[in-house]
Amino acid sequence: MIHVDHLTKRFGRHAAVEEISFDVGSGEVVGFLGPNGAGKTTTLRMLTGYLPPSAGAASVAGFDIFRQSLQARRRIGYLPESVPLYRDMRVREYLTFRARIKGLTGSVLNRRIEEVIDQCGLQAVRRKMIKTLSKGFRQRTGLADALVQDPELLILDEPTNGLDPNQIRAIRHLIKRLGEKHTILISTHILSEVEMLCDKIIIIDAGRIKAADTPSNLVSQMRAAGRITLELKGPADDAARALDGLDQVRKVSHDLSHDGWEHFSVLVESGADERARIAQLCRDRDWPLRSIYRHEATLEDVFVELTRKD
Amino acid sequence: MRTLLTLYRKEIRAFFLSPFGWVVLAFVAIMQGISLSTSMKALGDAPIRESLVYITFHTPNFWFYFLFIFPLITMRLFAEEERTGTLETLLTAPVRTWQLVSSKFLAAFSFYLLLWIPALVHFQLFGTLTDIAAPFTLGSLLGAAVIIALMGFFFTAVGCLASAMTSSQIIAGILTIGLLVIHYFLGYVPVIWGESFRASGIFHYLSCQEHLQFFTKGLIDSRPIVYYSTMAIFTLFLTHLVVDFRRWKQ
Ligand SMILES: Nc1ncnc2c1ncn2[C@@H]1O[C@H](COP(=O)(O)OP(=O)(O)OP(=O)(O)O)[C@@H](O)[C@H]1O
Ligand SMILES: [Mg+2]
Repeated sequence: MIHVDHLTKRFGRHAAVEEISFDVGSGEVVGFLGPNGAGKTTTLRMLTGYLPPSAGAASVAGFDIFRQSLQARRRIGYLPESVPLYRDMRVREYLTFRARIKGLTGSVLNRRIEEVIDQCGLQAVRRKMIKTLSKGFRQRTGLADALVQDPELLILDEPTNGLDPNQIRAIRHLIKRLGEKHTILISTHILSEVEMLCDKIIIIDAGRIKAADTPSNLVSQMRAAGRITLELKGPADDAARALDGLDQVRKVSHDLSHDGWEHFSVLVESGADERARIAQLCRDRDWPLRSIYRHEATLEDVFVELTRKD
Repeated sequence: MRTLLTLYRKEIRAFFLSPFGWVVLAFVAIMQGISLSTSMKALGDAPIRESLVYITFHTPNFWFYFLFIFPLITMRLFAEEERTGTLETLLTAPVRTWQLVSSKFLAAFSFYLLLWIPALVHFQLFGTLTDIAAPFTLGSLLGAAVIIALMGFFFTAVGCLASAMTSSQIIAGILTIGLLVIHYFLGYVPVIWGESFRASGIFHYLSCQEHLQFFTKGLIDSRPIVYYSTMAIFTLFLTHLVVDFRRWKQ
């Protein structure tokens, strides 16, 4: 659905996006992640035809975004990051205007408008002036606009920005449902959202792609060390030394003592699972072991690892 | 075509749904009223050879308010969309640039034509209220209508261009009035420097005060018609380039 080939955008001498290439297949839901200023919005703006690329090419549904911009734009529903709206229009009127310039007419137009008003929870404010709406309702109005022509491809730049938790869930459900039939490219900073929604993740930093894979692959390939926490009863110093003596252990720290139980966290080499050996150690020394837990790497760990500055 | 109409309707509504449009309408109507009463007083004071239409369009305040109409009605067009970011939603929708430019231009031009309805009513009322046959011919009224429309056609296009070049309404407005004032003074060049230099013909050709003079006497000349229409179309073409420029590969 989207094919990006060495796309580059320079602002003066500063390259905001540098030679990125990726593909989004039909029906995929792809998360576009990266720290602030990574170039996410710039990439999405190039895909939607708002900014011209400095070099490289991209196509949407087979249409070149530069040479066949109009055909490409017909297939895209776009929610810009800042959600620009006409302040002096009413919600329904705005949606009608947008639906018309996207080519909807007659009964289809009315049906679609009612549908998106329903989907985005705008019934209560449909007659309200946009300038009187709260941030969340503006966000929903923008989303309704992106959805109104029922586009093949949805490009959403931080769609849940500024929504309340209930609404974030509602929008997430909506995106999940839309993802069954549509292709979605979604930029966001909320990692749990990505884990829930996306089939694939693209992580971009300083204009370059750092990773592009499924969330589970990314997490399992995480090179960062695993962390194990445990509680045992015994002499704290001895235990620390003994744990440190184990093969795959990098670092042991004694967190606290509570009711005679000593809490430790143990940093182990990547891929290693030392739990069985730690348990064996405690049995050998006759130290009662109350709990042992291995923390799974999360998407957040992946994100931090890939985009850390040092 | 339907897209153009949708965009046009949105622009026209923006004029009437904001107090701003009505303020401009009131300002222009008051200025036209002042022009009319000044010229009626002039007619009462001394015998004058020219018609009422001619004098009304040659009162001292005419050029002052006339040139100010254009920055007022055009500065908002592109600059505001650029500043609030709605240009992004427009340019990423399946809308062609020429549709965007023409819808904005046509809306501003229609609004401009509307501003002259009070003046037309004034001239009609003159006969009705005073019971004297209005001292002008249909020819001079028609000539005035044509030249007002022509100048508006070009000057509105200049305002569109200025508005497309910046995201600040103020700068767009200042740019428009600046360009129009320069254009206006070009017509005075032969008056100041005399007729002796070779290029003086050019300055006569683009002198809007001379055009107004001839047309309000009922002398309809084809040269200004060509001049204003080609200049308007050329300026609109430039506006199209400026708006489309953001889509060009750098
Ligand atoms: N119009 C512009 N002119 C100059 N530089 C720009 C422009 N737009 C973006 N940039 C620069 O390009 C880089 C990428 O910006 P971009 O908005 O794409 O980041 P982002 O990934 O969307 O960040 P965020 O998470 O904060 O939204 C930044 O360094 C920014 O300063
Ligand atoms: Mg962004």
